[in-house]
Amino acid sequence: MKIHAFISKSSRRALAVAVAATALLACGARTARAQDKSAPLSKVERLNRAPVNKEILRVKLPRPTIAKLPNGLTLVLLEDHKLPTLAFTMWMRPGQLADPDDLPGLASFTADMLREGTVRRTSAQIAAEVDSLGATLNADSRFGASYTTVSASGFSDSAPQILDLMSDIVLNPAFPDTELAKYKQRQAADLESQMANPNFLGQQSFRRVLYGTAPLSLTSATKESLAKLNANDLKRFHDQNYTAGNSILGVTGDFKAADMRALIERYFGAWTGKAAAPASFPASAAPAAPGITLVDRPNSVQTFIMAGDRAIQRNDPSYPVLNVMNQIVGGGAQSRLFLDLREEHSLTYGSYSRFNAEVYPGDWYAFAPVRTPVTDEAMSRFMFEFKRINDEPVPASELDDARRAIVAGFALSLEQPAQLLGDWLTTQHFGLPMDYWDTYPDRIASVDAAAVQASAKKFVDLSHMQWVAVGDRKQIQDALAKYGPVTVVDVTGKAEK
Amino acid sequence: MIVKGRSSAALAVGLAILFMLGAALAWADVTLPKLELRDTHLENGLRVILVEDHSAPVYSIDVCYNVGSRNERPGRTGFAHLFEHMMFQGSENVGKGEHFIAVLNNGGGMNGTTNEDRTTYFEELPKNQLDLGLFLEADRMRALAITPANLENQRNAVQEERRQGVDNQPYGRANLDIDNLSYDNFAYKHSTIGSMTDLNAADVHDVSEFFRVYYAPNNAVLTLVGDFDSTEALAKVKKYFGAIPSQPAPPKVDLLDEPHYGERREVIEDPLARLPRLDIAYHVPPGNTPENYAALELAVILGQGESSRFFQHLVKEKQLASQINVFVEMRIGTSQFYIIATPRPGVKIEDLEQGVDDELAAFLKDGATAEDLAKAKVQLLRRFIEIRRSSLRTAIAIGDYTVKFNDPNLINTILEKERAITAEQVNAVARKFLARGQRTVVVTLPKAQEAAASKGAQ
Repeated sequence: MKIHAFISKSSRRALAVAVAATALLACGARTARAQDKSAPLSKVERLNRAPVNKEILRVKLPRPTIAKLPNGLTLVLLEDHKLPTLAFTMWMRPGQLADPDDLPGLASFTADMLREGTVRRTSAQIAAEVDSLGATLNADSRFGASYTTVSASGFSDSAPQILDLMSDIVLNPAFPDTELAKYKQRQAADLESQMANPNFLGQQSFRRVLYGTAPLSLTSATKESLAKLNANDLKRFHDQNYTAGNSILGVTGDFKAADMRALIERYFGAWTGKAAAPASFPASAAPAAPGITLVDRPNSVQTFIMAGDRAIQRNDPSYPVLNVMNQIVGGGAQSRLFLDLREEHSLTYGSYSRFNAEVYPGDWYAFAPVRTPVTDEAMSRFMFEFKRINDEPVPASELDDARRAIVAGFALSLEQPAQLLGDWLTTQHFGLPMDYWDTYPDRIASVDAAAVQASAKKFVDLSHMQWVAVGDRKQIQDALAKYGPVTVVDVTGKAEK
Repeated sequence: MIVKGRSSAALAVGLAILFMLGAALAWADVTLPKLELRDTHLENGLRVILVEDHSAPVYSIDVCYNVGSRNERPGRTGFAHLFEHMMFQGSENVGKGEHFIAVLNNGGGMNGTTNEDRTTYFEELPKNQLDLGLFLEADRMRALAITPANLENQRNAVQEERRQGVDNQPYGRANLDIDNLSYDNFAYKHSTIGSMTDLNAADVHDVSEFFRVYYAPNNAVLTLVGDFDSTEALAKVKKYFGAIPSQPAPPKVDLLDEPHYGERREVIEDPLARLPRLDIAYHVPPGNTPENYAALELAVILGQGESSRFFQHLVKEKQLASQINVFVEMRIGTSQFYIIATPRPGVKIEDLEQGVDDELAAFLKDGATAEDLAKAKVQLLRRFIEIRRSSLRTAIAIGDYTVKFNDPNLINTILEKERAITAEQVNAVARKFLARGQRTVVVTLPKAQEAAASKGAQ
């Protein structure tokens, strides 16, 4: 397998010969592979000849101006004068976590309906004003997130007009019945079409097995909740949750902090409402045993595999450890899962892992879409990598790579003010100290192999792991059954016989 | 969007628009910050464009090759993209997978993309890793390692990419069939992702030939944007790329497609779709022409933003569509104007199509208003400005403009070209190109599960 046709342009003619020779070996490689399924098709190899500057470019993230208005609204103001534009991002707790049991998706419905009319403007007027300003104005309440997001952006010169629009939809939404009826029709189409999406189906089942009960188990509204939704539900949700005390308004771009504060006071100063008590959740127990859920999606030509477990809260001191462990397992194209499942075993276009840390213990999961016939092999590669990160201390050089990737990456965020602003909204929303990002690189640098292994034993625990496979049942059920009892559900999540 | 004299509500909106227009005019003097381009050629023909930007301690490198799926031959569709994957499989001094490892573990980002017209490779890195990015790009341009095992591996990766993006997705077939039906010229008729059969047919000889013909310095543009001294950076570029020999110019490809007379239409039964969809395409002139810029404004007016005509009339007022997207491409050759709409549940696809036709007819009759035009221009200004936020997006755009239109300075002038477009030009493009007899329509209908069960998707 170690045949390398190095092509040097100074000897391009040699290439043809080398290629002719290696073309035959290609057939050999295919035959050999058929006999030994675990043997990699081609091996990842490090020559270490590329010139790398060993020094990490340490950067200090610019500190925003943070202020609290008398009404309780927190401001995060981060100047960036590169372009004559600015962007507003507001986080309002508790977001979807406040969905009532009998109306799943209410937070999301409320956010979606903000643009559909206020006491001062019709839906069409809002749309016309936004587009005429070359602006954007959006609101959404993501499932699993502890905040609703309202964002707006545009030219710096139009900051007053943008704030006027943004404050109008946040403070004065009218939820007109005519617009609600239309929204319901559009939303019904969205609910239907998302059920064709394998990633959505995977998340839907994964969150259900992981959290069991609403609101944490939810990934979407339902047809039933959409049907019964009325304007009073929206008004009530808005009155209870859209308060100054619940909210953080971040701004980045071309402005002076003092001027911006005054401008925000003009548009949001009259907002009232205290911070709500932190949301509490029914203490549903995590699944005690590992499980495999097959989501039957007939005619699939791939199986979308997910595997994971509950993980940590955002303010957990072990966050940097999980970050490093995840980086090693599946943080990017240089990580183990990608190199194993794609580069060496040719099973997928990409395999990664992710984690979400929240005000509740969020999730960690790995995933890959793989062609249907290799579902079994892909499961075994996941098993192999999960065991490896549990059983073997990570080698020093790989640990060093993972830590450097995270720390060195902060330099890139300096030209992404929206991302920087997100980092600072995170510290405010989750109650992290102001020097959090100053000390974060040192905390990453101090993560050692023992800590990584301990993190893996906790969150990549095969005796606990929840697997979800979205694919064509009749082609994959037997393969999955080799790894444990399989529960089969349809695309809505209902058990299939 | 506003329909004149429809109701008092419409009048109120009209007044709001006029008010906003006052503000919009204030941006007539907002313009793109001018970038200083240092544009030079090495002796081996490599075009090098350097742009200093000291706003953050990073730089981006983009190497754009003048090759895309337009250069493929029948029987080898998907090859340009498969080849792009091979560029990450190692070269004389970079091991397989080491490109990912070297860039990402030093805090960078990277990728490569292929479309009809060009193939582009890029990295963004902290500024103290300038040598790393240049070395990686030069080594694979000079001495790519081509092994049968790596080809087999990436053939699988690309076929998975196709399954993930096309064969296992609703509307995957519609996305490919629309171009296949509307173009007659093979260059743009076939898909960039390619057919499974053709991907299976590619061998290492194809890879080495493609590399020899297209991956030469004289067929590439190297763009560097970021926090460096351009004289020092140019010296490094010469050091890493200067000795790579040039090759004969690749054969040219004809990219013009005659307008077709008579509508073309296809109906797809899609077992993975849960809702029908309507896809319409019209030929429009090549990118970077006044007509293509006019088409860009037309797309905004008709279907971009919630105040657009299609959204306000078809989604909100008539409730025929649950969503509708309109966009236009800037290709080297004959480009396309697309309308893609999902009917509201319960609405017949014929009624949605009729609604689209009615909207187009209304537009053709009255043409673009001053508000339409002002709104489109300010939205496009915003779009062009936001590209400048990132050194990477800027570098990619310059590489694109250079390979496709031989004009790196388009990064500075595109706004003026867009601003020069008049309402009459927009109307003329709509009249000339959005004609029923020149369009291609693909209708997707969900296929009942039972009927599809025995067939399987391919």
